[in-house]
Amino acid sequence: MTEQALKEAVEILQPWTQETRTPEDGRVDVIVEVKDLLAAVAALHERPWGQLTAITGLDSPESGQIEVIYHFRHRAAVVGLRVRTPRDAASVPTICTIIPSASFFEAELREMLGVDVVGTPHPGKLFIPDDWPEGVYPLRKDFSQQSLLSGAGKPPAATTPDRKPRSFIIPIGPQHPALKEPGHFEFTVDGEIVTNAWARLGYAHRGIEKAMEERTWIQNLYLAERICGICSHVHAMTYCQGVEKLAGVEVPPRARAIRVLMAELERIHSHMLWVGVCAHEAGFETLFMYSWRDRETVMDLLERLSGNRVNYSANVLGGVKFDVNEEQAEAIRKGLDFLEQRLHHYLDVVMKDESFLGRTKGIGALTQAQADRLGTVGPTARASGVSRDMRLDSPYAAYPDLSIKIVVEKTGDLLARFMTRIKELFESVRVIREILDKMPPGDLSVRVRTKIPEGETVSCAEAPRGELFYFIKSCGGDKPDRIKVRTPTLSNWGAVLSTVVGGQLADVPMILAGVDPCFSCNDRMVRIRTGDSEQRDWSWEELRRYGIEYYRWKS
Amino acid sequence: MKSPVSSALNRLVGWARRKSPWAVHFNSGSCNGCDIEILATLPPRHDVERLGIKLQGSPRHADVLIATGPVTRQARDRLRRIYEQMPEPKYVVAIGSCAISGGVFDGCYNCLGGIDKVIPVDAYIPGCPPRPQAIIDGLVKLLQGKKEAPCPPGNEGTAVQEEATA
Repeated sequence: MTEQALKEAVEILQPWTQETRTPEDGRVDVIVEVKDLLAAVAALHERPWGQLTAITGLDSPESGQIEVIYHFRHRAAVVGLRVRTPRDAASVPTICTIIPSASFFEAELREMLGVDVVGTPHPGKLFIPDDWPEGVYPLRKDFSQQSLLSGAGKPPAATTPDRKPRSFIIPIGPQHPALKEPGHFEFTVDGEIVTNAWARLGYAHRGIEKAMEERTWIQNLYLAERICGICSHVHAMTYCQGVEKLAGVEVPPRARAIRVLMAELERIHSHMLWVGVCAHEAGFETLFMYSWRDRETVMDLLERLSGNRVNYSANVLGGVKFDVNEEQAEAIRKGLDFLEQRLHHYLDVVMKDESFLGRTKGIGALTQAQADRLGTVGPTARASGVSRDMRLDSPYAAYPDLSIKIVVEKTGDLLARFMTRIKELFESVRVIREILDKMPPGDLSVRVRTKIPEGETVSCAEAPRGELFYFIKSCGGDKPDRIKVRTPTLSNWGAVLSTVVGGQLADVPMILAGVDPCFSCNDRMVRIRTGDSEQRDWSWEELRRYGIEYYRWKS
Repeated sequence: MKSPVSSALNRLVGWARRKSPWAVHFNSGSCNGCDIEILATLPPRHDVERLGIKLQGSPRHADVLIATGPVTRQARDRLRRIYEQMPEPKYVVAIGSCAISGGVFDGCYNCLGGIDKVIPVDAYIPGCPPRPQAIIDGLVKLLQGKKEAPCPPGNEGTAVQEEATA
């Protein structure tokens, strides 16, 4: 089926293809010219064949070119549309005219690699800080922190937008009581109704992709784990799976089972955390306290298995670090029995509590067509009826041997997102029991050499928030050449900012929390506007000047 | 000049502050692990509110700034502003390895490498991330060290210094 899908994609792209490569099973790379890019993307989009998963930029100073890869995915089939552009005048046309959600991915190209994206609807700074010097691109190979220091004193000249205040804007963040992560939002309101939404993230942008190029394959394991403190295991697992594929090693079945066991325990802790946080946004503190109290059961289990509550460090290249003995398995079973009983209670509360239903039913609804078009992933997509789950679409680790039932809701509102996640929890509980019952015997790891053979690979997994995508390129050394991480939250931002517009201001925190945003995963700066076409991208200085002018204008 | 009334008042304020610190939390670009563990001190398992510690939304109402993360360039100004918005006396607690030294993100181009590169820090709680118990213990140790109510800078002339009672 994957082969068929790939064949179809190759046929669609035939008119523009210069060269076709098959780097590994389930993947085809099609090389096209920059001038044909739009036509090729449009052809894939119109069929429709899959959805845009990520855009990776590769800098290669030796050839004097930057290669841009547009990754499209249809179930397990991944097509990479590759274009090359000269390094000193790098430029590609924007594909936002065809796929609006691509603007997030294109932002990285512009700012990290210095590729001019012609016609982008969102010019200006998205990823990098306000005072970042111009002409410095961190993901280019010749970037050094020295160039940052020498240029840091010269921030680009600010231009004051000529704009008379017309609307009332409510700014939220980056420090705010609702979410525990930094993100800045501005909501334009007309009375109680939100008419425009704007986000400026990137407060948690640490530059991990660059740091990964500077560290060894083994050191990167610990870095990948710390991309996100909530879904730490799935990051490390996806990274390991990619590197193992490149190294050509087969992970023992027991290690694969333990990886899945940890991933599912992590999903339980993450979803319960989300239920609590989202209830907290609704002012339902009791549910927050209950779900977090019960979440401690999973935390105890994770600690019992790994010795740590948050960064379990279960993975090593080639397997896992620790085993699960019968005593631990028994403790997990007991914990799950308790949790399952509590989950019935939560589902009951979420579905029957009248005042809570008033905050969730019909709020922030995303139709199936919207969810598909905006490229949403994970429970957010599944709550809108889009059945997309990497565990089924492209089974990895021990998932091919397990029976996973996908949970899909139809309505796409907050209630559906609650139901999807809680029902997924039941599914996770069942899967963990299945793994414990069928735990294969054998070794925990195989040896992986410190130098990884040359090659490129794509590694994906279903994180608690949706599809996690890693693109890994090795040049044969003990360090990677490029690692691109596309996290689920980045794909889900479009969903949030389009559903808040037109809704009540009081629903904003819940809708924001509704996709389970993870800013540290997100790891980048995004600016999104919906509602009107006005350009807004202001530095702090402009904002200050604007404030002064505003009050002058008022008086 | 020491007056008995202001001395007694100062002792009372110091006692109240130690017994019921209000904390504001700021994430300066951490991976979330520490932040989740800070939140995990709230629910019934640990329940810091029973100890008088309250997580407060606004920095203007807070005594303690609980900061996590290696401080990204974009978060630097916000961190400084939040610190400046807090009323005196104020304490800063850096939570987690990256808030202390940059941790695993040491050397990343967008990280400054620790809270104390930007604002003064009173207590460091190590761990990646520290357990909720460690966070509570760190806060208690910090407050035990502050037996008196310090005066805002510039008012030292009228400050009433009292001896540590324990």
